[in-house]
Amino acid sequence: MSNVLRQHAEQLFLEELEELKKQDNDKRPFNWVLSPQSVVTYLLGGTLKNGFEIQPKYIGNRRLIEIAVATLTTDRALLLYGLPGTAKSWVSEHLAAAISGDSTLIVQGTAGTGEEAIRYGWNYARLLAEGPSEKALVETPVMRAMQAGKIARIEELTRIGADVQDTLITILSEKTLPVPELNSAVMAQKGFNIIATANNRDKGVNDLSSALKRRFNTVILPVPDSMEEEIDIVRRRVESYEKVMDLPAEKPALEEIRRIVTIFRELRSGVTADGKTKIKIPSGTLSTAEAISVVNNGLAMAAYFGDGQLKAADLAAGIIGAVLKDPVQDKIVWQEYLETVVKTREEWKDIYRACRDL
Amino acid sequence: MSIHILGIRHHGPGSARHVKEYLEKVKPDIVLVEGPPEADNILEWVGKEQLRPPVAILAYQPDAPQKAVFYPFAEFSPEWQAILYARNNNIPVRFMDLPMAHQFELKVQRTPAADPDAAPSVNNSMAPYIPGASIVRRNPVAYLAGAAGYADEEKWWEHMFEYRQDPVDVFNAVAEGMQALRQDLQLPYDREEQLREAHMRKTIRQAEREMYTEIAVICGAWHTPALLNMGKAKDDNELLKGLPKVKVATTWIPWTYNRLSYSSGYGAGINSPGWYEHNWRYPTDDGTRWMSRVARLFRDQQKDISVAHVMEAVRLSTALTSLRGLPKAGLEELNEATLSVLCNGEDILLQLIRDELIVSDKIGEVPTDIPRPPLQTDIEKQQKKLRLPQTADYKDYVLDLRKDTDLERSILLHRLEMLDIKWGHRYGPSGKGTFKEQWRLQWDPGFSIDIIEKGNWGNTVEEATSKYVQHQARTATSLKEVCTLLETAIPAELPAAVAVLVQQVNNLAAATGDVMQLMTVIPGLVQISRYGNVRKTDAALVENIVAGMITRICISLPAACIGIAEDAASELLDLIYNMNDAILILQDDELTKQWQQTLYNIARNDSAAAMLSGYATRLLADHRQLSGNELVRAFSYAMSSATPPPIAAAWLEGFLKGSGTLLLVDNDLWTVVYNWMHQLEENIFKQLLPLLRRTFSGFTKAERRKLGEKAKGGVSGAPGNHHQMMENIDTERALKGIPVVLQMLGVK
Repeated sequence: MSNVLRQHAEQLFLEELEELKKQDNDKRPFNWVLSPQSVVTYLLGGTLKNGFEIQPKYIGNRRLIEIAVATLTTDRALLLYGLPGTAKSWVSEHLAAAISGDSTLIVQGTAGTGEEAIRYGWNYARLLAEGPSEKALVETPVMRAMQAGKIARIEELTRIGADVQDTLITILSEKTLPVPELNSAVMAQKGFNIIATANNRDKGVNDLSSALKRRFNTVILPVPDSMEEEIDIVRRRVESYEKVMDLPAEKPALEEIRRIVTIFRELRSGVTADGKTKIKIPSGTLSTAEAISVVNNGLAMAAYFGDGQLKAADLAAGIIGAVLKDPVQDKIVWQEYLETVVKTREEWKDIYRACRDL
Repeated sequence: MSIHILGIRHHGPGSARHVKEYLEKVKPDIVLVEGPPEADNILEWVGKEQLRPPVAILAYQPDAPQKAVFYPFAEFSPEWQAILYARNNNIPVRFMDLPMAHQFELKVQRTPAADPDAAPSVNNSMAPYIPGASIVRRNPVAYLAGAAGYADEEKWWEHMFEYRQDPVDVFNAVAEGMQALRQDLQLPYDREEQLREAHMRKTIRQAEREMYTEIAVICGAWHTPALLNMGKAKDDNELLKGLPKVKVATTWIPWTYNRLSYSSGYGAGINSPGWYEHNWRYPTDDGTRWMSRVARLFRDQQKDISVAHVMEAVRLSTALTSLRGLPKAGLEELNEATLSVLCNGEDILLQLIRDELIVSDKIGEVPTDIPRPPLQTDIEKQQKKLRLPQTADYKDYVLDLRKDTDLERSILLHRLEMLDIKWGHRYGPSGKGTFKEQWRLQWDPGFSIDIIEKGNWGNTVEEATSKYVQHQARTATSLKEVCTLLETAIPAELPAAVAVLVQQVNNLAAATGDVMQLMTVIPGLVQISRYGNVRKTDAALVENIVAGMITRICISLPAACIGIAEDAASELLDLIYNMNDAILILQDDELTKQWQQTLYNIARNDSAAAMLSGYATRLLADHRQLSGNELVRAFSYAMSSATPPPIAAAWLEGFLKGSGTLLLVDNDLWTVVYNWMHQLEENIFKQLLPLLRRTFSGFTKAERRKLGEKAKGGVSGAPGNHHQMMENIDTERALKGIPVVLQMLGVK
């Protein structure tokens, strides 16, 4: 077992990828490690012909993943869009790992991301000593992906300034990266494409120009469809976290997870689980990822400050912290929810009391 | 001689195409179609200019019109194409299903007699027909789809049969598939199905006896094995003997694509009539033409879509199709490509495509000389029964709701009003709280169109109104709208609709962040819950939601009183006034307590609008929650000199709203007000004067006069001061001034 805190997808799931490659009989696009069908199987999980079990990486709508993979076989780039915590980067990492066998060609977009982070930079010492030359050029992940015919990933595309974003237009439409200083250009090899992620909740992001938007197919990753699906996701992720952190607390009861997921789903969708009562929606996103962190947080609380068992009180603070993003509006929403929904549920008395006390 | 059995899916464009091609090839001399034989005589209309699909055959029992079945046809329905072929080639065409005369009666037998309400409504009775074989029998098809590796049997069927270009042996394949299913599946014995198939066979034998040589039979795929294997005539005749029978009438009515689709709430049908029509018209389209239509639609909506977009979308749909291993892009692939390429992942615009292209709502036309629809029959029947004739000139009625006939009349009129059939106009005193209603009735021939239109909602006035109101309730977005509906639905006696409305009020109330909207509707609802049962309606339903809404108001009202402009504050003050009245009417201890708590919150909140905290304090005094010293303390606190005078004046305005009596009788309070007024500096007083005038102008004349008299007296000990002043007058000096005054007044 390696001591690396978190391994790349292609290393972590090396066995699965190898196994898929062996079993793969469908046609592969040029420079792809797997066929599109196998990429879909890798992401959604399944059993291979020889009985090998592929773990699901993404639990959710099959069609979305199919659209994403189909997009990457065409010459349009893929934009994964969605609320924070809907597994955009996760999907993008696994797609790159399955298609190119390499998920490391990544550019993290920030407000300070410059053109040289996307196109190329210069090694200034060399530039001064030798003048512009191939050797003085500093390649970016995008440039390397073009040369190798792999998938490049751009995280948080909308955080990058609009002028910098637009440098992608030539790369995506003409599949070349001109280097005017050397009077040459890098031509993208077959298999090159870009997966970008962006979240649609943040304010003050730089919207894509319509010229750039046109070069992307957009797939919106939604919050989980059904209750059971969400519980499944939370449970899987929480259990893997426990393993990593060596928490002494007892395994979380499914019941507790179910309650958290219920609260989050109800507040997110604005209606109680039985569909009978409408409720107001708070301003926070209440994603599945947040539910996972509330349970993790509760586990840590129980382990270090409590009696080792996950109780409502350990979770209450986390829930309130996740729900109350706006101190005035959300408070009213939460109070109303607490009084009209939580209070009326007989078996939820402990949560009601725990939340009341805070 | 040969019999051609063509198994189809109802409303399948591919099936329609195959049927048409097949018929043109074999040139039959008679066509038999699955459908009610009672409608044979109205088939003569098919092919005429005035009958344009989508239309439906309506079969109903004239003496009980709520028992009715619709047989809808679109241009792409295989049955329609078959009938059309027969009419165009002048060969006989007949329906061969079990006559509705028996089917209606059989259904009654099946329904438990103890529960008359459960009699099959239009929705349910449609199910056995529309995709007759399909809805009930689609499940068996799922086995075939499953065997072919499809999760969704509809999709499998579409790709196998509807999108298929090459019709070779398609009907044989269908027949074989169904044969296999019917052999291998252990299905429960279904008497109705046995009867229907027996009758179909009987009709085929009849055609044979009449010496037709090429007989084409169009039926739901599921029935094909039963018709291929004819069996013995004697068995079928035995089975069909002595069936109960009722009278059935049939007519053509216009139909809409929307009602062909699932979205209208009719359990059976097809999802995407617009897409099917596209498929019928352009069977070879690979998605290019469809995408161009989508692009055109988007451009009409001012959304820029370039030709490159269309190309990319078609390309993505093709990639998806091949990824899924399908031969031809279906609607799903095209939609997903549209979503990803044209809509940037946002599915809001997809709704537009759904409405405009996929459903592509369209209404059919029927000739004017057809028989009447059941809703009209029902209205006429009730008019006759209640002796309310249709008249060209207006006629007035005064209804006494204590009499049964008049109550029924009122209910009918209310219902028609809710259906937007504006026959009666109510005027004069409203029915609320009294037992009299005045109506003016005037019939307009144009109503028949409204009636046919509303006939879509049901075949009796009650059913149609109830469904229509429920529909309105579901689509309404403002609380006020729903509450108005609720107020009218109660006198129209529509319990089902009222239940939906109440639910909707509840939903909207929960979703709204606007306290003022909630407060606007509360008094009306309280009226209903207190007095609604004058008409024997169950008002308990309303009471529940009122309690919920009041709780919501109590939670959010204090926040709503903060940081608002003066005009908004006075608007809110009126609402609080009405709300307080409503609470008093309800006389519910729990709610009253909540309300008082809310008033406390407003009264004590320094940042709430001053007028409102003043008013809240006053209401608390009215509720006897604040009195004596406590009240004086609250008053002086608000009026203390640290408070800027305009705010204090606003507080006072709120506090004294509506009645000055409190000031007159409570001496302590009077002193506080008096002293406060007294210590005002001149320029501040001038500044406040208009505000104070406004406050006092709201009082009655008598109150103002008394207040004036009291003010003249000053604070409690005032009369004494008054006398003192009189005694100090220097009479001699005063006399000197009198002539001057007289001169100024012009008195000689």
